[in-house]
Amino acid sequence: MKELLTELLMEEKTCFRIPFGDGYIDVYKSVVMTWGVMLVLFALILFLTHGFKVHNISKRQAAVETFVIWLRGVTGGMLGEEGISYADYLATVLIFIAASNMVGLLGFTPATMDLNVTIALALMSIVLVEIAGMRKKGVKKWLKGFAEPMAIVAPMNILEIGIRPLSLCMRLFGNILGATVIMELIKFMVPVILPAILSLYFDIFDGAIQAYVFVFLTSLYIKEAVE
Amino acid sequence: MSLTAIGAAIAAFTGIGAGIGIGLATAKATDAVARQPEADGKIMKMLVLGCALAEATAIYGLVVAVMIIFLS
Amino acid sequence: MLTVSLINIGFTIFNLLLLYLFAKKFLFGRVDAILAQRREEVDSATKAAEAATQEALNTKKEYEEKIANVDEEKEQILADIKKQGYVEYERIIGEAKKKGDKIIVEAKHNAEVENERAKEVYAAQLTDMVIDAASKIAATKHSAADDKELYDKFISEAGAKNE
Repeated sequence: MKELLTELLMEEKTCFRIPFGDGYIDVYKSVVMTWGVMLVLFALILFLTHGFKVHNISKRQAAVETFVIWLRGVTGGMLGEEGISYADYLATVLIFIAASNMVGLLGFTPATMDLNVTIALALMSIVLVEIAGMRKKGVKKWLKGFAEPMAIVAPMNILEIGIRPLSLCMRLFGNILGATVIMELIKFMVPVILPAILSLYFDIFDGAIQAYVFVFLTSLYIKEAVE
Repeated sequence: MSLTAIGAAIAAFTGIGAGIGIGLATAKATDAVARQPEADGKIMKMLVLGCALAEATAIYGLVVAVMIIFLS
Repeated sequence: MLTVSLINIGFTIFNLLLLYLFAKKFLFGRVDAILAQRREEVDSATKAAEAATQEALNTKKEYEEKIANVDEEKEQILADIKKQGYVEYERIIGEAKKKGDKIIVEAKHNAEVENERAKEVYAAQLTDMVIDAASKIAATKHSAADDKELYDKFISEAGAKNE
């Protein structure tokens, strides 16, 4: 069992190397996995949205339209009217995280199991939140907003900029790591039926919930900054 | 008895907080649904959200334990 | 396991932006176009329906006005007819009254004439009676006092008979 865990957790993360200058650029497996997920999503989107008509629509088009409207409702529900323009990005992130959490079903290691991917996601979220605040309030007022409601809490507010993405990143990473480790252990112990049943919870449900929590918290921060 | 093992075991204690917190939240949620059954959609959404957020602290403990084991 | 490499973070950020732009163009863009077109159609249909209802309301108002006018005309005609009727009525009553008056006058006249004739007859009868009395007196050859008595008696009787 120890080899299993070591193999899972300490595996070589480099997929291939690109010669660059006088060194190498390591391209990690997670990046390649992200590319793979992106290609699948591209193909899916292109297949689902070709040939849209206005009237007399096919069932596929009706399903896609309903899905898009539902998705926007989910992400835009927390944002309110001010931040509704950010709902598109959050919907994309939701689909991406949910999709890449679930490749564990297929036997690959999920892309979000790599700390770099979650750090990238969290960085983009925090940059989005700060830019939303800056765009709404103007730079001066945004800087002054750190001292609200009293000047004493200014250090706390500044620390919040760093703590929020850290918690987002660690939450996503830890959940997916824990889910994958437990699934590996179960597969090792009882290889036959139990993994299928439990992977319903660990892979699918947990993956979807963690994606939704990530997007929900980002939208909550955006709303807080834009108010 | 290497200290890493003890350290990792202590780091796993964070699960207690998560367990208690989620248990309390579920109790209050079932109370609320019993009081007003037609709001159960909203209550379930909030419950799931609260559980995911509370579970994060337990996950932090897991991450710390994994880090302790594999980084020393 | 917990190695952080900035290059890969950069790669991932680039990937995410690529995914976002792609989804925005293909998924959201196409769906938005269809939704906007549909909303436009619904809007124009609503506007056309509203214009039609407005027109219908206007026509209805026109017709109602016409009907109200018709009512007025009807009232007018009825009033005219009634007035004419009254005039006729008055005229007829007037004529009847006149005729009645005339009849009364005639009747009075006739009554007077009758009265006169009756008086004449009565006078003739009286004359006859007087002649009778005179003949009676002449037949009996009474004295002057008896004659006077007879005259008085006769006249009082005649007077009593006449009264």
